[in-house]
Amino acid sequence: MNKFAAILYDSFLEIKDRKIFYFYWLVAGVLIIVFGLLPSLNINGRDILEGNLLSPEVLNGFIARFFDGFLGFVIFLLVFGSAGLAPSFLSKGRVELVLSKPIDRWRLLSMKFLAVYLVKAAVLAVMATAIWLTLSLRLGMFNWGFFPGLLFACLQLLVVYAIVFFFGVLTNSAASAIMGYFVIRIGTDLLASRKVVYPLLGEKSLWKTILDGVYHVSPKIGEMSENIGPIMTGKGMADFYPVWSTVLIAVVVFLVTLLYFNRKDY
Amino acid sequence: MNDAAIQVDHLTKRYSAGFRRPPVQALTDISLDVKKNEIFGLLGPNGAGKTTLIKILLGSLLPTSGAASINGFGGADWRSRLSAGYLPENHRFPPYLTGRQMLFCFGGMAGLSSTVIRGKADALFDLVGLHQWQNTKIRKYSKGMMQRLGLAQALLNDPQLIFLDEPTDGVDPVGRHEIRTILLNLKKEGKTIFLNSHLLAEVEAVCDRVAILNKGRLVKVGPVSGLLDVKPAYRLETAEMPPVVGEETTTAFPTAKIEGTVITVTLETPGQVNEIIDLLRRRGVDLVSVAPVKVSLEESFLELIQGDGSHE
Repeated sequence: MNKFAAILYDSFLEIKDRKIFYFYWLVAGVLIIVFGLLPSLNINGRDILEGNLLSPEVLNGFIARFFDGFLGFVIFLLVFGSAGLAPSFLSKGRVELVLSKPIDRWRLLSMKFLAVYLVKAAVLAVMATAIWLTLSLRLGMFNWGFFPGLLFACLQLLVVYAIVFFFGVLTNSAASAIMGYFVIRIGTDLLASRKVVYPLLGEKSLWKTILDGVYHVSPKIGEMSENIGPIMTGKGMADFYPVWSTVLIAVVVFLVTLLYFNRKDY
Repeated sequence: MNDAAIQVDHLTKRYSAGFRRPPVQALTDISLDVKKNEIFGLLGPNGAGKTTLIKILLGSLLPTSGAASINGFGGADWRSRLSAGYLPENHRFPPYLTGRQMLFCFGGMAGLSSTVIRGKADALFDLVGLHQWQNTKIRKYSKGMMQRLGLAQALLNDPQLIFLDEPTDGVDPVGRHEIRTILLNLKKEGKTIFLNSHLLAEVEAVCDRVAILNKGRLVKVGPVSGLLDVKPAYRLETAEMPPVVGEETTTAFPTAKIEGTVITVTLETPGQVNEIIDLLRRRGVDLVSVAPVKVSLEESFLELIQGDGSHE
């Protein structure tokens, strides 16, 4: 068992021990049952899609819209479920033991981040794929755009978790990590619609410059998530800027987390 | 060749106490060495800086100035912990793991393969008396059981240097005796043990050398016998003690205390006891017994701490 495998094993067991882990599967189970009970669209041997009663485009749009909302909801649940993992790993009485192992601090924290992320991403992927498969079998139509969309959702989860992880390491508190994340999330959503208030600012261009500046250095998670639907319907990404800038900011946030952890007394 | 497993050189640690508060001086200019294959005890009252010193050695805390190293590697260097095992004080082992899973997780973090861990786990659970509890979740363990598990975890990677911070805390007397035996056996195997304990009898029973910390300062370091190197004291029991003889004795030996027929006296040299015996015989007082008074480490420790100016 190498060091990363040990941390992955520990992270999996910790996540599995939390009640919210079963809530994920409850949500997935309910959806699978609901979709499993949908009436078949293949009536009397005549495919409903062939009869243009319900066009593939409409069904694709429905599936994309459903998963757009569903993946966002699951990421939201995963934020709640994972916010306490870094503070728990670094809690007094446990962190001393972890730091006494022959691992560099930056490597230790990177491995913990990656381990938790992989478990969460696996949960997201398994849940979403199971629901997609059920829905596809009932509808008799497979929207393969689901997979690039799922991949994109995993990228979004990575970005979100980097921010939650930062607040978790900084404050050593799950509640603060969640609050920190939501302050950022709500703040950046407001910044995304900053142009609405431009007319109120009059000619004071300094305020516009400040709002623009803050917007550009903030993670644009809300705007990033708007890409899931278009990716699933095969339209591709609507806007690349929120995606690459948010990923870049998440990388910077993660590096700051490592620097902080490297110098912190425990 | 350097035979020091641990070297601490002019180590100082100051904690920030928060906004507009003066920093807390946890350690001040500590220098000491721990030789290979010795059991070294660290003593001191609460808040003396014992745990701070261990945490700096193991990289949990960064020193303000000075240096602390294990086998030549500084505490911040991960290589210093390659051959170290650690049982922290007030540990909080992950409650969601079973004892066995904990050995796999923390052994894995120490770089051991699952085959090696599997090979050692049973023997270690036997050693610490937790064999039948190894598949039980830690949240169901008692304090003593967690100490035993912590000890098993500390020994898993077959470390050459073992740090034990209050290892018998919460352990019953039988368990304490077992842990002491384990420590002495580890010493026989050539291990170096750094023992932090406030239980003086425990330290006296197993340690080769001790250091005494008080308010972050090193008060004394040396062999246990050296700490007990105080003026000789004797207890003389007589058949009877006429008051006039008692007064003569206390006049000649001002440190003498008389309770009934018993005289307790601290002397400058052991030979002086003969002078008291001669005095008593001259006055016709029969002696029942004469015995040296053994000074415990606790008495010596208290004397050192109370005599240390930094305690004020």
